[in-house]
Amino acid sequence: MKDKNYTPRMLWLTVAVVVGTIGLGFIPPFELQGMSFARVDMLSSLRAETGGDDLPVEYEADIERLEMELAAMEMEPTVEVVDTLPEPVPVRYEWIVQEEPMVKRRVPLSTEVAPADDMRVVPIEDFDTLTVTRYERFIEKLANMEDVRIAFMGDSFVEGDILTSDLRHELQSLLGGRGVGFVACDIPFATVRKSVKRTSSGWTAYSVMKPKGTPEALRDKYFISGYIAEGGSGATTRWASTDTFATLDSCSRGRVLLYSRDTSRVLVEINDTLSREFEIAGDDHVREIYVEAPIDALRVKVLEGSVVCYGASLEGGRGITVDNFSVRCNNGHAIFGTGATVNRQIDEMLGYDLVVLQYGLNIMQPGQRVFARYRDQLRDMIAYAERCFPDAAIVVLGVSDRWVKNEESGAYEPIGSVDALTSYQRAAADSTHVAFWNTSEAMAIYGGMPRFVANGWAAKDYTHINFAGGRRVAEALARALRSSLAEELSEREAEAQRVAEEAERRALEHQMLIDRNLSATTILLDTLAEDDASMVKGDE
Amino acid sequence: MEHLKFDNGVLERVASLLEYDAAVPLTLTTGFFLFAFLLFGVGYVALRRRVNIRNIYVVLFSLYFYYKLSGIYVLLLVAVALSDYLIGRRVARRRERGHGTRGWVALSVTINIAILAYFKATDFFVGVVNDLYGSGTLDWESVVVPAGVSFFVFQSIAYVVDISRGVISPLSRFTDYLFLLSFFPKMFLGPLVRAKDFIPQIEARDVVVTREDFGRGVTLIAGGLVKYAIIAKALGLLFVAPAFDGELGDGGLVALMAIYGFTLQIYCDFSGYSDIAVGVALIMGFRLPDNFDAPYKSATITEFWRRWHISLSSWLRDYLYISLGGNRKGRLRTYLNLILTMFLGGLWHGVGMTFIAWGMLHGVALALHKMWLEVVPGAKRFGAEMKPVWRAVATTFTFNLVAFGWLLFTANDMAQVGDIVGRIVENFSFAEVDTLVAGSGVAMTLMAVGYAMHALPKSFDLGVQRMVTRLGFVGQWLLVVVVVWMVMQCDMMLAADSGGAAGLPMYAAF
Repeated sequence: MKDKNYTPRMLWLTVAVVVGTIGLGFIPPFELQGMSFARVDMLSSLRAETGGDDLPVEYEADIERLEMELAAMEMEPTVEVVDTLPEPVPVRYEWIVQEEPMVKRRVPLSTEVAPADDMRVVPIEDFDTLTVTRYERFIEKLANMEDVRIAFMGDSFVEGDILTSDLRHELQSLLGGRGVGFVACDIPFATVRKSVKRTSSGWTAYSVMKPKGTPEALRDKYFISGYIAEGGSGATTRWASTDTFATLDSCSRGRVLLYSRDTSRVLVEINDTLSREFEIAGDDHVREIYVEAPIDALRVKVLEGSVVCYGASLEGGRGITVDNFSVRCNNGHAIFGTGATVNRQIDEMLGYDLVVLQYGLNIMQPGQRVFARYRDQLRDMIAYAERCFPDAAIVVLGVSDRWVKNEESGAYEPIGSVDALTSYQRAAADSTHVAFWNTSEAMAIYGGMPRFVANGWAAKDYTHINFAGGRRVAEALARALRSSLAEELSEREAEAQRVAEEAERRALEHQMLIDRNLSATTILLDTLAEDDASMVKGDE
Repeated sequence: MEHLKFDNGVLERVASLLEYDAAVPLTLTTGFFLFAFLLFGVGYVALRRRVNIRNIYVVLFSLYFYYKLSGIYVLLLVAVALSDYLIGRRVARRRERGHGTRGWVALSVTINIAILAYFKATDFFVGVVNDLYGSGTLDWESVVVPAGVSFFVFQSIAYVVDISRGVISPLSRFTDYLFLLSFFPKMFLGPLVRAKDFIPQIEARDVVVTREDFGRGVTLIAGGLVKYAIIAKALGLLFVAPAFDGELGDGGLVALMAIYGFTLQIYCDFSGYSDIAVGVALIMGFRLPDNFDAPYKSATITEFWRRWHISLSSWLRDYLYISLGGNRKGRLRTYLNLILTMFLGGLWHGVGMTFIAWGMLHGVALALHKMWLEVVPGAKRFGAEMKPVWRAVATTFTFNLVAFGWLLFTANDMAQVGDIVGRIVENFSFAEVDTLVAGSGVAMTLMAVGYAMHALPKSFDLGVQRMVTRLGFVGQWLLVVVVVWMVMQCDMMLAADSGGAAGLPMYAAF
């Protein structure tokens, strides 16, 4: 027995370990000392990927390519002057039916913009290091009542204008502005959006999430909207405003964003009555057809040639425009698949002042605590957005609250990685010096996801909020913006007050001086008069 | 039972798993290896007494293992083996007849070093040329360095040199030589084996695993997993990387702890993986040399290199330092040879200022220590010879020197080294202890546990091995399953996001 050879034990131990580790799959997930232990699955690679919703995105950050693209774009205008200088292609086709009325807006008081309720404000954390940060500049623009445009980029969380429609409504009611903003021309799957009625036909639509399904020539032509539609003669889309919110109907401005590689003819029709034809000169540059008129519905129709259309924007009345750019299953990576040149060109037309990045819902795994790689990718996304929208402030939204079902008890419990992902997102914002807003903390004020589900504000998957839930989150975000704005305004009011008081004090001093001089003069005169009198008396 | 159910695509997925996938290389710590090792074990146990078939069986599995690790480069491995197998025979024949062997040895070294240089230096060289003459002068796509290429190239050189030195006689069978080079447990990260020690094991009629061997093997595998897949991985991701990147503030204490953290991390990562390799080989009946011997207990830098990556440093000593002339050409040449050896050793890790600085630091330290030994009467080479107080002082000094070396080793560039050192010198405050405990409590605990494990005397390790041996089959089984469960939990907590199970040992880069 002493000389027993243990070689076969290698096999038996391996067999036992394999059986044992597969057996570990019977241990349900549990919590101990605040640490959550997940179910282990030795055989996971033999299973189909779950959550077929999560399409793999083939994009990687390529900041170098972006820099080159932008550099090339900036060099473009310096075309050498040759004998036959090609006619520059117009970037903007205008059609002014009725000039937009000049709305005179009164700068609100800080007390008017300050959050109306007394709920706790989850502030926007500004990590910028500039003396006047980009976020402060954005708030200043709001305080100056300038026209302000917000790009809200997100995933299925804000699909269908959830959250953004309420944010838009609140800001427009407060600071002016009308219209739903940007709406895509056509999307390769059915969507529901209450804030706008879009009907389209004749287009072939492509998604930035499926680069392989996109024709080669269009792959670098995506805008951050994420969807492109290509159509020949007959292709048409009609965007009509709705009255779901008071500020949405009857806009005064409409713009259609498109381009056409070769000359084409496009018909634009307002309110199904008035129409006009445009000849679009052939070029790769994105063009806009700009219409000023009281608009309830805008239609575009390709008459001749082939057109690539991004979408249309309904807006006006001077004030705030909020564009919803939601791309389902996008963790933010899809921005790398959008064309930097296209983004810049459209930014030059529309002028974005704030870019919101709302992502991360799909990358969480129960119990996951480390998101270092995602943080690095997020930094690249921020860098990409900064370069595409150089004048905009950027706010990264922390991931929203999410609960998952415990397979054993059937009850829902926190996914356990929301705080971790939030801190990694904050770290990305911190190191890239942009602003950050903690979405899950804001949701916690309303009681977190279980409360949202109980109140009917979120779907039963404990992941996606609905319009009612979006309203709460929008309220909270608007509260943060409003308190920044109120702060700016109250500083201004204090400054104005100080200036006024200073002026008053000066005036008072002046008056006192005059008074004093006056009295001195009076005394002098009196004395003189007395002297005169005595002299007169003396004379007597 | 949910998790035992599969849909009908399972066969296709098994088939695709068996193919090479550059994104998921095979290492000893993957689940795939566990299943593959199970299948391998069936044939191995059945064939263990039929030496020829057994060896061919192991070679075929090793080649498949390497294919899963590095894809088509498995052909390179076979080519290197064939070339040195033939050269080795030729060298032996010339030696027998009293002819010179230098030319053939030089040929073998040239071929091997050329392969190494091609994979390790071409990128660097192309980069330099393109920097000088404008990008695009040389049109070149980065090559993927085949895993473990340095290890098999070094072992192959040693084989030919040993034959020419008369230490061993050449193997008569090509498959046996292929066995020596490709043996899968050590394929990826060593330890490097010497033909002299390994050939008798290949040729043994029966593989013998004693009860103690098996117990030690299981201990090494379990302990190695804890070191490699838990301590090193978690410490690196949770603390060391963010601390170096300045995400935990710019305090000096954090920077210092990051250096000590990395010092533990690289030891646990590398020695943990080595232990697993030695353990897997041991339960198969093969004894690989120990690669680490509690290196941070070293009292001198000379001792450190006897305890750290032993199989490589003894290779460097026997085949590089001695070939350069060693200590036989006078004092000055000895120092120079030491520095040159470590300089080349540094360069081998990567072409860059930080690796050169790391190599020079160790080379100069070794030379200075050699000088110290000669100049100072009563100076000792090893801690065991010193008085306890001296030993403590010397160990502390050596540990900090080595730790500073690791800073050079891991830094992105010299600017980062300056930044970290600057933080320690100018911004040090014990007030940071609170933030460290509050913010990085888990990492600090891991560090304490890791260093405590390292500080335990060798007798403790042996005691644990005896205990595991006495546990018997069921106890050993439970031990391994519990460790695997812990590793998988740790992986999931650290997440697929950051590499997780598919992550490679740090040393895989070299």
